[in-house]
Amino acid sequence: MKHLKFLSRTVFVNNNNVEEACRVLNRVLGKEEIFDQYRRTRYYEKPFQVRRRINFEKCKAIYNEDMDRKIQFILRKNRTEPFPGQY
Amino acid sequence: MIISTNFLLNKSHNLLRVLANSISTTSRCLKADDRKQLIASTPRKDQGTEGEKTIEIDQLIQKNKIDIFPDENTPNAIFYDMPFKELPIVNIRVSKNNTILSLTNSKGVIQMIRSCGVEGFKNTRKGTNIAAQATAITFCGKVIDRGIKAARIVVRGLGPGRMSAIKGLQMGGLNIVSITDTTRVSWSGPRPRKQRKL
Repeated sequence: MKHLKFLSRTVFVNNNNVEEACRVLNRVLGKEEIFDQYRRTRYYEKPFQVRRRINFEKCKAIYNEDMDRKIQFILRKNRTEPFPGQY
Repeated sequence: MIISTNFLLNKSHNLLRVLANSISTTSRCLKADDRKQLIASTPRKDQGTEGEKTIEIDQLIQKNKIDIFPDENTPNAIFYDMPFKELPIVNIRVSKNNTILSLTNSKGVIQMIRSCGVEGFKNTRKGTNIAAQATAITFCGKVIDRGIKAARIVVRGLGPGRMSAIKGLQMGGLNIVSITDTTRVSWSGPRPRKQRKL
């Protein structure tokens, strides 16, 4: 589907606050990895560099997932036993 | 943890350097290291992507977040006595070395064009945020002379002029209705040029 020009990637400016609108737009595009892909395609990325990058991203994702789980575990509420391992 | 390992690495490098100076060999290896350190230490160029990696808590708290984005009624919504689809467009083409601004009507017919080079900035000075801002301010004056009060903005590309051109348009007195990004990004495009040797 073709993206319509003034519907996708568009942000309105409220109360003449241009900077905030720009920041919102930039954050959305950064999160969608559009800027990353743009920067990556300025120069050819050799296959070994692609492999390295993707492996790094995989490792980072695994680490982040585990760390999130750990944080959730520490922050959990309504524990049946509030101080496990202590009597 | 990272700091301490870096520190140790630096220490060992310095030790190597002393040795190399006394024996006067392996200077070539150290030269490559120096180059890498120099590149790592130079500040990154501003690409006009402010707010790309930061999260603002004030914005998250705000409830009326949705009216910042367009919906199906947007083309007929009225801004400054004109429907959105009939507002003139200011296109900003940003690249590493230049910034080009052009004014088109709602159908896309170009009416005026101006760039940092035309403004009087030459060579590397073209690709700075100051040049972009100055160009945007003079461009804006000419746009207002035509009787245009409000416009939509379309930005394409990343570069130092990205944010400052928009800021310049605002400073010049043009009412900005919306900001659109049309940076061309492809996930399966043709093979780009080879990497620069640094």
